[in-house]
Amino acid sequence: MSHQLSFEVIVIGAGHAGCEAAYIAARMGATTALCTLDVNSIGMMSCNPAIGGIAKGHMVREVDALGGIMGEVIDATGIQFRLLNRSRGPAVQSPRAQADRNLYRTEMRRRLAFTENLTIIGGEVAEIKIGNGKVTGVELADGTCIAGRAVVLTTGTFLNGLVHVGKKTFQAGRSGEPASIKLANCIRRIGFKTGRLKTGTPPRLDGRTIDYSQFERQPGDENPVPFSFKTARIKRRQIECHIGYTTEKVHDIIRRNLDKSPLYSGDIEGIGPRYCPSIEDKVVKFADKNRHQIFLEPEGYDTYEVYPNGISTSMAEEVQMDFVRAIAGLEKVKMLRPGYAIEYDFVDPRELYATLETKAVGSLFHAGQINGTSGYEEAAGQGLVAGINAALQVSGREGVVLDRATSYIGVMIDDLVTKGADEPYRMFTSRAEMRLSLRYDNADQRLSPLGYEIGALHDSDYQAFLQRQEDVQRATDVLMNGRVNDLHEAFIEGLALEGSRETLNGKKLEYLARRPDCDIEKLLGVIRAATNGEIADKEIVVALNDTRYSGYLKDQESLAKKRARYDQLEIPRAMDFTEIAGLSSEVVQKLSRIRPTTIGQAARIPGMTPAAVSILLVAMLRN
Amino acid sequence: MFQGDTIAAISTPPGRGGIGIIRLSGAASLTITAKIFRATGKIGKANHAQFGRIVEPGDKQTLDEALLTYFKAPHSYTGEDVVELSCHGSPVVLRKVLELVTAHGARIAEPGEFTFRAFLNRRLDLAQAQAVRDLINAQTAYQAHLATRQLAGAFSQRLAPLKADLITIIVHLESAVEFVEDDISPENLGRIFEKVTSIIAALQHFAAGFAFGRFVKEGFDLALVGRPNVGKSSVFNQLVGSDRAIVTAIPGTTRDALYESAAIAGVPVRLIDTAGIRETDDVVESLGITRTRAAIADADIVLLILDHSQALSADDQRLLDEVPVERRIVALNKSDLAHELAQSHEPDLEDAVRISALTGAGFDELRERIFRDLSGDAATERDDILITDARQQQAVGAALNALNQARDLLLVGELEEIILLKLHAALTVLGDITGETLTDDILGQIFSTFCIGK
Repeated sequence: MSHQLSFEVIVIGAGHAGCEAAYIAARMGATTALCTLDVNSIGMMSCNPAIGGIAKGHMVREVDALGGIMGEVIDATGIQFRLLNRSRGPAVQSPRAQADRNLYRTEMRRRLAFTENLTIIGGEVAEIKIGNGKVTGVELADGTCIAGRAVVLTTGTFLNGLVHVGKKTFQAGRSGEPASIKLANCIRRIGFKTGRLKTGTPPRLDGRTIDYSQFERQPGDENPVPFSFKTARIKRRQIECHIGYTTEKVHDIIRRNLDKSPLYSGDIEGIGPRYCPSIEDKVVKFADKNRHQIFLEPEGYDTYEVYPNGISTSMAEEVQMDFVRAIAGLEKVKMLRPGYAIEYDFVDPRELYATLETKAVGSLFHAGQINGTSGYEEAAGQGLVAGINAALQVSGREGVVLDRATSYIGVMIDDLVTKGADEPYRMFTSRAEMRLSLRYDNADQRLSPLGYEIGALHDSDYQAFLQRQEDVQRATDVLMNGRVNDLHEAFIEGLALEGSRETLNGKKLEYLARRPDCDIEKLLGVIRAATNGEIADKEIVVALNDTRYSGYLKDQESLAKKRARYDQLEIPRAMDFTEIAGLSSEVVQKLSRIRPTTIGQAARIPGMTPAAVSILLVAMLRN
Repeated sequence: MFQGDTIAAISTPPGRGGIGIIRLSGAASLTITAKIFRATGKIGKANHAQFGRIVEPGDKQTLDEALLTYFKAPHSYTGEDVVELSCHGSPVVLRKVLELVTAHGARIAEPGEFTFRAFLNRRLDLAQAQAVRDLINAQTAYQAHLATRQLAGAFSQRLAPLKADLITIIVHLESAVEFVEDDISPENLGRIFEKVTSIIAALQHFAAGFAFGRFVKEGFDLALVGRPNVGKSSVFNQLVGSDRAIVTAIPGTTRDALYESAAIAGVPVRLIDTAGIRETDDVVESLGITRTRAAIADADIVLLILDHSQALSADDQRLLDEVPVERRIVALNKSDLAHELAQSHEPDLEDAVRISALTGAGFDELRERIFRDLSGDAATERDDILITDARQQQAVGAALNALNQARDLLLVGELEEIILLKLHAALTVLGDITGETLTDDILGQIFSTFCIGK
């Protein structure tokens, strides 16, 4: 074949992981192909039409700070923005937005189509080509061969996808799309250890048949906080969501029909997420709860389709119809499509290095649901890391591993490659030891210098980052040097906690910023005035947030350290664990399978004893 | 060069010796020592021994006189800054010094950790590496043995419900910040405050109950009782080592309780010499007898002294009935004389110790017995207990500290994630005793407590 297609990086799958991987690899200068079954499904939101949420929104900001694309696309297509936990501390605040599903998809495709070095290819990848333990390219179902020096595999729910609706089952990658059977066989042939996971969706409703007066209105924020550091302002018209509840009558219908539920009849083997149970699971496991919340999320401006978040189900279609109509306000609702559960193959993420390259096959990277995660944001974070490392590798550079201490993406990948996935993995802030430092608003401080260094963040974006940093520094200077005594009396009297006027003598403004009773809005006004209005409020907020936790960062660090001594010591890749005397065969097996890259990672493997870690350390230092 | 946090341990072999050494290794070794060591002139000249006193900051009393030797990095055993404090060999003094250095920032070393650091810093060559590994293996077995004993022990079991309560609090607070969009009702901050307060109270109760903590702070009360003229005061003098009590041949000489402190097997013990107990009309003497009864009631250990040269009298029998068996050590004095008391025929006297206050015979055994009963475990394991106990005390102290901070932060309305930082710190140190709680365990409990799933 003389006219064989050839790329440096080939990305398989154009969901949220695949889009990020392809985009960043191309932006970093690698000639990149994005292969997808259907070019119309690029950036498709298969589950609910929303992005962000606590910990997840943090990750979108991190993706953005490293040069990724998700933040900009949701900013351009979001129809309702809310900053969650607004009344709580800055570390647990996070942006969330409803998207117009079709706009999101179209915008993502448009941006990728205009990305230099990136080619979009419609077709089914049937085979990953391997030579000498390293990928050489892929082969499409029609026989087309595409050569590639690195491959990023992002299969989502398509690998051996099996849909359940009541007793009906059929092979599909998503509702109405074919599953990837050939590719699944190829992956098993390579010898990867696979498992089955499950996820589900609710039925889709016709908004024209909903009595919204029975629901509580949930408006978005008046001043939407964007996801991307590049977005100055959200311009789109904002719309409302609605909140309602199930009733005992709904629960009765579900209970009566449990025998027709594939989840309870044993038809579904895959493990679903405990944090996102189906409505039948909720009714069974929390039998004493007499109602469950439902969010009616509009799918977009130009559609009447509504996504009832909170009642995902795989009950038979007629049962779905029955219980949905037992909900107040949905008595006459028309169901556009039934909900379904889908089981799919994933590959044990312990088969990966923290660069997301597989240990078994050189230059093959896995990202997204194939690694046992759930969520668009988790997928995007991995896609970005896989794309970055694929691009670095084809240009002969060292891979990048994100640190647990500086990003949620780092926490996620370390968890995955160390502990594997027993259920679909979702990010929570409590997974991060350094939660106070991993704020949504400082993602650029944490990651943009690295993004720039490796070429993922372009120069203009980096210059903008430096400018923001300068502004933050100016605001910080005011906090550090300004005196409380110079403030207006009324401001100080607004403080609720103990402490006389005298105790404030000689104190700096940063002292106030650390007090829980300080009115941050007022302090923001003080800094705004002191800097002549030259600094954007969002940069002042970063300065205030930096200060807010400053008294506790040491505590956080010592606690994190207590959990992880010798964390950073690197284990050589060539280490032969079977050669180490004194380790139990069980431990040797675990180490050989997971191949930890640092002592910290080794110590976090479930079942590793401190003694085994010590022996490993000693053996390591001998070599 | 590897430089870890500063670790400390008693580095002389277990048991009572002439000299005992506390060794510190790590960057802060000297600064920590400086806080508890008083000497003329500046301390810390490398490779020199320096004489001084170990004091508790804020307390003028000298705990021990000691020699300080400072080995500056990298010229030390571990390759880090090392300080060795050579103290007198009492296990209790050593333990107290260890407690002082840990209170000022050192951490109790893991088994083999000094050697391990030496290896990391290449103070040991490759040939010695094998030995290090064997050492770690051996000590891990030892540690596992200790841990098992501890886990089976009452302490860990009693701590378990408190830890469960703490996890519940964490679950509620974490859920409040993590699942704001879900329809759940975690407990409010007022209720959380109450729960934290009750855990603090329970932990304080634990902290006060540490046997060796009490040893060091107050010493134990050891009451000597017996009918008149069995030689209580002579025994007392033998134990104290001076003629503190008046010894006469007239029965009823000691009419008041006498107090004296002495170290028995390194444990400070307050000896209470009591008046004998017998039926009497003498007003002063009967007052003394009342006090003796009070002393028996208060004492940690009652040393009941009988006369080995005489048969058991009615007064003796009354005492044997009166003193609770679990706090009693029976000593048969005057073992140098003819034995009239047939020990084998008296079930009460089965494990009595034979002594002679006159010749000093049997006193080593008596001291050992007193120590064993005070430490509440087999004598052979006393050094394990000292260390195990020190770890537990350190952990409970640290947990209390973190919880008190959490409570204060709750009071001023501080952010949940900051309060959680303190609660997680408390949970982590308690985990040193009862086993680690993983993030996944907490998440699992969240999902089983609340119906999460927007």
